[in-house]
Amino acid sequence: MHAIYAFGLLILLAFLGSRLIRKGKRTFSPLTLIFHSGLVYILLGLYLGRRGLGVLSPQVLQGLYPVFSLGLGWVGFLFGFQLEYRYLKRFPRRYVWLSLSLFLTVTILTAAPLVWVFEQWFDDPRFFLHGMAGALGLLAGIHSPTLLNLVSSWMPKRGNYHYLARFLVSVGGFWGVVGMALLASFWHFPVIGQGILTKGFIMLGMSTLLPLLLGILFHHLTAKRVSESELLVYLLGMVFFVSGAGFYFNLLPLYVCMILGIVYSNLTRRHERIYPILLAAEKPLYIVLLILVGALWEFDLDLRIALLVLLLLGLRLAGHVFGAPFWGRLLKFPFRLPLAFGVSLMSAGGLGVAFAVSIKIAYPMALTDTFLSVALLGIILGEIISPWAIKVSLYRLGSRA
Amino acid sequence: MTLVALILIFALMLLLRSPWLLPMANPQQSTSVALGFILIFAFLVGKRTAAVKLPQLTGFILAGIICGPFVLKFISASEVENLQLLDGLALSLIALTAGGEMHLERLKHRFRALSAVVIFQTLCVILGFLGFGLLVLPWFGWLGPSGFSQLLAFSLLLGTLATATSPSTTIAVITETRSEGKYTDLVLSGAVVKDFAVIGIFAFSLSFADALVTPGQGFSIGFLGVILQEVGISLALGVAIGVLIILYLRYVKGELSVFILGVAFFTYEISHSYGYHPLLICLLAGFIVQNYSAQGDRLIQALEKVATPVYVVFFAISGASLDLRALRQGWILALLCFAWRGVLTFAGTYFGARVSGEDVRFRRAGWSGYIAQAGVTLGMAIVVGETFPGWGEEFKALVLAVIALNQVIGPILLQKFLIKSGEAGRRVPERSWAMKRLPDEST
Repeated sequence: MHAIYAFGLLILLAFLGSRLIRKGKRTFSPLTLIFHSGLVYILLGLYLGRRGLGVLSPQVLQGLYPVFSLGLGWVGFLFGFQLEYRYLKRFPRRYVWLSLSLFLTVTILTAAPLVWVFEQWFDDPRFFLHGMAGALGLLAGIHSPTLLNLVSSWMPKRGNYHYLARFLVSVGGFWGVVGMALLASFWHFPVIGQGILTKGFIMLGMSTLLPLLLGILFHHLTAKRVSESELLVYLLGMVFFVSGAGFYFNLLPLYVCMILGIVYSNLTRRHERIYPILLAAEKPLYIVLLILVGALWEFDLDLRIALLVLLLLGLRLAGHVFGAPFWGRLLKFPFRLPLAFGVSLMSAGGLGVAFAVSIKIAYPMALTDTFLSVALLGIILGEIISPWAIKVSLYRLGSRA
Repeated sequence: MTLVALILIFALMLLLRSPWLLPMANPQQSTSVALGFILIFAFLVGKRTAAVKLPQLTGFILAGIICGPFVLKFISASEVENLQLLDGLALSLIALTAGGEMHLERLKHRFRALSAVVIFQTLCVILGFLGFGLLVLPWFGWLGPSGFSQLLAFSLLLGTLATATSPSTTIAVITETRSEGKYTDLVLSGAVVKDFAVIGIFAFSLSFADALVTPGQGFSIGFLGVILQEVGISLALGVAIGVLIILYLRYVKGELSVFILGVAFFTYEISHSYGYHPLLICLLAGFIVQNYSAQGDRLIQALEKVATPVYVVFFAISGASLDLRALRQGWILALLCFAWRGVLTFAGTYFGARVSGEDVRFRRAGWSGYIAQAGVTLGMAIVVGETFPGWGEEFKALVLAVIALNQVIGPILLQKFLIKSGEAGRRVPERSWAMKRLPDEST
């Protein structure tokens, strides 16, 4: 199928999907909730991709990379835009420290065994294997707030645990994306192994300075009175430019656009004008991105992948379950964090998917297909168990808080 | 601020494309960065041109030319080709807007003037270029030692292509200047009607030219049936899509921007693939919604919401696609053709307006609304190039050079005409699209 027809098909699916997501009646069922989180569109993409109908063939996907770029950039920008210092400073400092500590715990706890497992099971050069294990570790530390927000709408009572969990899942992605930016800079494809430090600092500097500069420019361009369409032109232009530069230099589009979002959000006073634009395009773009991710997915379930998925989930769960109470005690939280609390942080959602596909695009190697399979299966399973996990932990803890 | 932003974004792109960073880049993934750059850069250039009282559209086109594959090469030829994905989408949106801006009642009143202007312009331009070709072209040594029949074919096709005006450029300038009134209607509907008339005339001219230059090849009128069939199906599709949009606006309402994008996209791609006329389909669909339902204003508002970025990219890319090599090679003849077309358009408009009783202002200045040329002319030039190997390529090069001039000068002339006629800025702000300038943004 020609790329432009595929693009048209995606518009149609995005339209239908976003209507269904908005109109659907919400009931507490993990299957319904996974539909509302949109992850089923990955399966639709898989069906439309090379392994299914072949509508979204690799050639077509190549032609649709600007759409990937926009989708990933939009997710990154929207995420960064929510990280507004004015809002974040309301939370106690120990919340931030807990978030960072928990992220590091889960990442190290997941990555370290995976390095050993990868070395045993795969024959690729060691620096590739270590990078992939590191990326899975970072993915394990990422959270998404979508499911928690959905499930908590049924909660009869919300307290400290709920607010802490909301903070952690909202901010947790930041550390993961920053970690991945570091990894992608110092483990830069295709120059892995050559002049790591110099090129790493150049890449990291570019990933940070470019969106920083453009974020300031964006702010100055929109500081005066601008029409909605003018705002849209600047927003689209900035996201395309920054995310495109990410693609062009194999930087992480999520990171560069997140920095753009953070810079702009903390400079501008136009939140009330830009949010409607961001949110209006969010659902259709998100669905398009998920479908494309599904189509890009070279799904291949063998024993190694199945075991890796279980290992990823198990380590992630262990890291959260034991990490939260440990750091809670060390950081002298005014309320005790029980083991059950960490169970509520299992959803990686859309940010996790965007993270995984960024790796797949940045590192075009056979090993990244395995990585994508493990990551996506891990995320989907995580989304299925998350509603129960949140119910089990936060519902119960809510009554105690 | 606009100037500082322009310099900054330009410097950034220069840095990103520098040979120093090239070894670390992935050239296959450069389309997005090119798209983002051109979106911001062209929009800012458009703001600068607006500040010196030129159309923003001219700024978009100039930005495309400057950054395109013939000047600074910030956007390569392959990136321009990749970005053509947006072309169909933009054309459909423009045609929907044009249809939505055409009010049946107003057109009825102007039918006489419209038909007279179109007929006189077409006759003047075609006959004028026949004369021009026969008298002037041999002076330039064009077509080598070719015979009279080849010269006649060349001139006839040149005249036919010179008849076309770009409706997309016309509607973009009209919406940008927020124009409304008698002259605006005449210019817009004239551009649209001529665009369709020229398709039929071109088929006739092509067949005639083929009969002239190919020994043993007779003149065929078989193309007429094909054209009638294509136009008939296009009209039917236009009505069907118009009805679909009305039903959607009435009963579904939500996600309007995505729906309009989907309709525009599918209409263009599917109709284009099957040889129908997407411009006619979308134009008629917009016309039906505006004149046979109460949803016209909602359609226009939805179009305005999604249109601006697409328009910026569309015109910037059209600027980047302009073949400057062709202009460089044959600029004297291209300049002559450009000037002669202007004279003939003036004559056609003057006589058409006089016959239909239009006022002196339109008689004298109306021609300047019909100068811009773009997509349809380009498409026809390519067909000529393919149909007549050898001189067809020379023809294509000349037409591309003339298009480059018309597309840069045309919007400026149209804007000046609309401002002078007093119709610019007449439309109420709610109906205007976002390319409007706000009072505090003019500098």
